[in-house]
Amino acid sequence: MKIAIVDYGIGNVRSILSAFENQGVDIFLTSDKKEILKSDGLVLPGVGAFSHGMKSLEGCGLVDVIKEYVASDKPFIGICLGMQMLFERSEEFGETIGLGLIPGKVIKLPTKDDQNEKLPHVSWNELNSKSTQWADTILEGIEEGSDMYFVHSFVAQPKDSNNILSTTEYSNYNFCSSVKKNNIYGCQFHPEKSGKTGLKIIKNFIRICQK
Amino acid sequence: MNKVRIIARIDIKNEFVIKGIHLEGLRKVGNPNEMARNYYDDGIDEIVFMDAVAAYYDRNSLSELIQEACVDIFIPITVGGGIRTIDDIKNALKSGADKVAINTKAVQDPDFITQSSKIFGSQCIVSSIEAKLIKDGKWEVYTDNGREPTGKDVVEWAKYVEELGAGEIMLTSIDREGTKKGFDINLYQSVVRSVSIPVIASGGMGNSIDAVRLLKDVNIDAIAIASVLHYKIESIKEIKNALLENQIKVHI
Amino acid sequence: MSKELEAYYGLPSVVKFCKKCVISNQRPSSTIEFKNEKGEKKKVINFNKDGVCSACVYHDEKETGIDWEDRDGKLRSLLDQFRSNDGSYDVIVPGSGGKDSAFTAHILKYKYGMNPLTVTWAPHLYTDIGWKNMQEWMHTGGLDNILYTPNGILHKEMTKNAFHNLLHPFQPFIVGQRIIGPAMAKKFGVKLVMYGENQAEYGNSIEENTNPIMDMDFFSSNDVLGMKFGGVSMQEYIDTGKYTKDDFSPYIAPDKQDLIDNGVEVHYLGYYLKWDPQECYYYSVENTGFQANSVRTEGTYSKYSSIDDKIDPFHYLTTLIKFGIGRCTYDAAQEVRNDKITREEASYLVEKYDTEFPSIYFKEFLEYIDTSEDEFWKTIDKHRSPHIWKKVDGVWKLRHTSSNMGTDD
Repeated sequence: MKIAIVDYGIGNVRSILSAFENQGVDIFLTSDKKEILKSDGLVLPGVGAFSHGMKSLEGCGLVDVIKEYVASDKPFIGICLGMQMLFERSEEFGETIGLGLIPGKVIKLPTKDDQNEKLPHVSWNELNSKSTQWADTILEGIEEGSDMYFVHSFVAQPKDSNNILSTTEYSNYNFCSSVKKNNIYGCQFHPEKSGKTGLKIIKNFIRICQK
Repeated sequence: MNKVRIIARIDIKNEFVIKGIHLEGLRKVGNPNEMARNYYDDGIDEIVFMDAVAAYYDRNSLSELIQEACVDIFIPITVGGGIRTIDDIKNALKSGADKVAINTKAVQDPDFITQSSKIFGSQCIVSSIEAKLIKDGKWEVYTDNGREPTGKDVVEWAKYVEELGAGEIMLTSIDREGTKKGFDINLYQSVVRSVSIPVIASGGMGNSIDAVRLLKDVNIDAIAIASVLHYKIESIKEIKNALLENQIKVHI
Repeated sequence: MSKELEAYYGLPSVVKFCKKCVISNQRPSSTIEFKNEKGEKKKVINFNKDGVCSACVYHDEKETGIDWEDRDGKLRSLLDQFRSNDGSYDVIVPGSGGKDSAFTAHILKYKYGMNPLTVTWAPHLYTDIGWKNMQEWMHTGGLDNILYTPNGILHKEMTKNAFHNLLHPFQPFIVGQRIIGPAMAKKFGVKLVMYGENQAEYGNSIEENTNPIMDMDFFSSNDVLGMKFGGVSMQEYIDTGKYTKDDFSPYIAPDKQDLIDNGVEVHYLGYYLKWDPQECYYYSVENTGFQANSVRTEGTYSKYSSIDDKIDPFHYLTTLIKFGIGRCTYDAAQEVRNDKITREEASYLVEKYDTEFPSIYFKEFLEYIDTSEDEFWKTIDKHRSPHIWKKVDGVWKLRHTSSNMGTDD
């Protein structure tokens, strides 16, 4: 079984590679269309600006192949910016079109205009299920309220609440911290940076790929 | 209020972890990868690797070390010391770092912060500020690992780096660091109230009481600690428990 | 066949650098300063057949060939002999409150139970940080101190002469500094004087270091009027009519026989304890309120070594001029031996800092020695040995450096 990470020049891929390797799976970085379509699981990493990310994907000619891969029903996970780009558009720096694989948009994290709540949101923060079932998802076996590592200023707003896998509270606002739409997963947090619990989530994704 | 991040600061010279006082002295205290791994296993939230002598030798040489460390440490890693070009940042990130800390280069060429945050995103760019007390309420920015005064006011500089695009500030008190005499609370108070990006307090922690005192008074996002861990004065668990007992939220 | 270059001061004509540290074979050994006169031939550090200097050789011995537990035992026996039990002082520790003397005095008192009196031969001009550290030595370190400041008029004139005649402005200072320990011991009826490190650590002959006791010749004399200050004898100063023998009280070396009769012994703590200057820094910060300077010292990378005298940088400037090695070389060589930095790093630092001109206190120094800038440079240039310096496009450059970047390398 092989899992591919999309190589479009962005994202701290070394950590993701290490995290998957740590679980003993065959993981590789690629921008080759054939390799991507052949893989049993696909990871879309990403940090930084939405528009920069989309431009880079387009520049590498990867937008269509990602859509094609997702249509094949094989497991897919977007991390941080990788999750945000799954949506239709983002409000960062004017409007940018995303991959449109999940209905919804990306907005700036609403914070109260006081000293206590800063942007970017950089912290370990809790995942809440709000009675969503985590069994058979990448969050299976994860304890309610577990801390994950977040670094972001923007958040996704899925149109369909059924796509929301977990929420997290920041500045009195509950934002969507992970998503699931059929075979597509997205984490706003960084599982590869969230210690042993994060590794569990990666392990879950690998298991899903094996099915 | 965010959970306060507890960060281990590991200063490195060649293949050794070193610990100075007032950013001076190269006493060897351990092996970088060993210490980083231990802290990870003990529940630290983040690690900062600083090349303590990059300024002396006009080089930076942490890439190999970071690569090794990232193999089995799965928490955020920041690398600083001698980050002078876009390529330096690229190499650091390629090796596995999530963030880079920049000081001297930013003072010499503030546009470097803007350029790098545009390319890599501001979440990746930490402005490292070394502060030396001049008189009550005033601190001066130093560069080159606490060697060269700049004439710049710390609070003004902090505001400026935020404007330039830095995502976080790591603020080190030269007067307190390595002394285990507690944090310079006034320093952190002055900067925190003047910026809206996260601030990491670094320098002076001798025990958990120091951390509690700081965190009760100042809206600090993270503390970077060194001596207290390297000299095994307290464990990470003890520190986190002490904070929780004082109603300060941390990641367990 | 190139013309052989003249080497002043009887220095070795071929400049070589130690294979292990960065010191050169031009480094002078300690001398009996009050016999120091113009044109004297210098005794220098020894290099063995492998090109390694005696300081490095001694250091290796220190690492492997010495039983430090045994030495500690010897120290305890020694101190047991001298320890008082009636509250009187039982050891004199000369020093300025820098990291080394701070360590020495504090550890003798608080670990070994002695009752030290620290004695300071005042720097020419105290720096702010130097004064602060001296005070902290007492206030935080918990020690007693006597600060002895000699008559400035005479001291300045001697320093001026020393600068122009010997290019060694510190010469008169060193005379007083060596004498004050034993002199105070005699005055207070104390028999033991304890210094920190032994000069052998830095390249005197190794035999000197198998002996914990400082050679009495360094601080005693049978011919007081013949003692030289800045190359001028005491008698000659008196003959000018400006001074009398009274003015020379601080410099009159105790009579040798007198000291012997009084049982005065001068030891080096560095013989008994494994000396590491960097560890002295940590110790003094943690115990005596010592603080490094907030800025790097000119001519080196260090912030905590020898920071109490504004004239100090000019001592190192003159070693650079006469011997081709400046402050950074001294600091770096020591740190290489003590395994803090590599030789490569040391070379790099030396290239970066060794020839940096000490500008911060330049004006004050000129005032102190009553010399114009012109006169200053005339004297400096007179002492540049041709085998060390070469003028290239109007700028003086070193012919040889430890990283082989000299004009002749």
